[in-house]
Amino acid sequence: MDVLDLARTQFAVTGSLHFLFVVLTLGLAPLVAIMHTRWTITGDPAREKAARFWGQIYVINYALGIVTGLVMEFQFGLAWSGLSHYAGDVFGAPLAMETLVAFFLESTFLGLWIFGWGRLPRWAHLACIWLVTLTAYASAFFVMAANAFLQNPAGATVTGDRLALTDPVALFTNKTLIFAFPHVIAAGMFTGGMVLAGASAYKLLRAEDREFFTRSLRTGVAVAAVGIFLTMGTGFAQFAGVQEGKWDNSAAASALGFMVTGGELLALVMLFVLLPLVRFLHRWRWAQRLLVVMTPLPFVLAIMGWLAREVGRQPWMIWERLTVADAMSPGLTAGMVGTSLAAFATVLGLLAVVDYVLIARAVRRGPRALDLGAPADEPRTPVLSY
Amino acid sequence: MEILWFAIFALLLIGYFALEGFDLGVGLLLPVLGRTPENRDRMVAAMAPYVLANEVWLVALAGTMFGVYPLLEGQVLSGLYPLVVAMLLSWVLRDAGLWFRRRLDGARWRAFWDAMIAFGSLGLSFGWGMVLYAAATGFAGSPVHPAGLLLGVVVSLLFAQHGRTFLAWRAPAMFSGSRSGSGASGDTQPGQAPGSFGGFRSGRALALTGVLATLPALGVLAGAAPYLVEASAPAATLSVLSVMVLPITPVLVGAQVWVWRTFRPGKDAYRVPSFF
Repeated sequence: MDVLDLARTQFAVTGSLHFLFVVLTLGLAPLVAIMHTRWTITGDPAREKAARFWGQIYVINYALGIVTGLVMEFQFGLAWSGLSHYAGDVFGAPLAMETLVAFFLESTFLGLWIFGWGRLPRWAHLACIWLVTLTAYASAFFVMAANAFLQNPAGATVTGDRLALTDPVALFTNKTLIFAFPHVIAAGMFTGGMVLAGASAYKLLRAEDREFFTRSLRTGVAVAAVGIFLTMGTGFAQFAGVQEGKWDNSAAASALGFMVTGGELLALVMLFVLLPLVRFLHRWRWAQRLLVVMTPLPFVLAIMGWLAREVGRQPWMIWERLTVADAMSPGLTAGMVGTSLAAFATVLGLLAVVDYVLIARAVRRGPRALDLGAPADEPRTPVLSY
Repeated sequence: MEILWFAIFALLLIGYFALEGFDLGVGLLLPVLGRTPENRDRMVAAMAPYVLANEVWLVALAGTMFGVYPLLEGQVLSGLYPLVVAMLLSWVLRDAGLWFRRRLDGARWRAFWDAMIAFGSLGLSFGWGMVLYAAATGFAGSPVHPAGLLLGVVVSLLFAQHGRTFLAWRAPAMFSGSRSGSGASGDTQPGQAPGSFGGFRSGRALALTGVLATLPALGVLAGAAPYLVEASAPAATLSVLSVMVLPITPVLVGAQVWVWRTFRPGKDAYRVPSFF
């Protein structure tokens, strides 16, 4: 592999790892927020247990979203300085907004939500998880806006040897954004629903906490069914805006075909089998086994979707404006990028595996002895007289 | 407008050093002050509610750099490629340590991730010293230079001092508890005069070590100001950024203030078990 292949692989590996965790974050955030809302309104301890149990799955997953995201953000400057050199005045704007307007708040409110348990007033604490959800969606919007610009450089004109931002409205109403953003949100919803359903089905197979997991199984199947329906709708709606010649790339075309076929099959199962039978699933072991087996599939399809979108863009970094070869930072050697690729892939890959094991263990342990929102077991710090 | 965005950039960098500085300092001190697992739990619990709100200043700084100084962003990061990669890995390990340390029971599991927190905090603190040295030389020389290494030591020490002040401000009981058992000569009780090791430190003392922690960054910023302003993105880009970002600034500030109000020391300073 030459240095360009290595740099591309590095971005693909970290980006794919990042999205595996992000897609679940986007799906679980609103579900946890709704559970928290129902607990706040009713004060029902069973609702509290649901908010804390699924909230814990959500935050364990979130950890890897953060650390892979850090590597993503800095990689633009590390390996692709040609992109910021040529188009930073345009492409940089949505990325700057993502960090300042969205993620800055998301991270701050998430800290308040996790550590404010039992300290913040009830409604203020509830507001935190909704603000986390809102800013997570805003974050996804800005990142998709930046990506859409690479697919279709709208709102910019060539000035000298660089791109200049001439139409910010066009930048944020890009035809490769308006259906791709809801597509990502819907895919998140599908993934979140499937994880809820799959984890619940696993617990029902073990005959543990039947009432608790029967409820979440039904919620999960319903959310996943609506999610896959919206994912397909927004997916097909995107074809009108796709660049001419994008599917000439055979690797991109096969990823696309795999995603479409797989998505349609899953939609058939969800919409015409599992959703109509949702009231009986808690009794049928075959259906529970099926749901457990289906749980990883939304993740696979989500990665296929990104591969189709990004590989189809090749050899362009910015469609018909800048090639990936020209976008690479000058002066990088295969040794440098090979070493960093190996380091990032090893560390992030291992952490991802550990994270999934921790999620699996949290599911297996069930809604008891939860870390999230645990009351203090020590007498609180003595009142100090200073 | 260039001046305004330079001010925002500078504020984010200084804020990062003043805020994340004490998180990294506490991480550095884990092997020093946190000899027992219980003490490490308390040290991490003391900083835990702040970490997410603090580390995000650097994320915002990098995003702002991309938006406001796109030409410099690529040059600086790719110019310091091996160092930035090492710092990113340190950051990743530090964060993973925080998120994972309490997710499984078992002393060895937690000790391993505590070591990762300390190791990652050291890598980041030391790396910052080298980055500042490189910036001071205009990114002309290699950051692996005796002066760069020395600055790495200085930044690490400043962060450690800041972290110790933070612990004494937020969780003074931790120190009095652990110290009285060891019969140390500098016996400290909460409420004792600031300055004696480990005792209570005021918010003012914390602010002071915070200012000290930002000094290296401030020095470099002051020297780099003319270059940065010169390298700003064109007015059209800055206008879009201003329109989108400035109206939301009160919310950003408000959220940070809310964190500090919620987790201020006092009757409920820190909790064990904490999520981290």
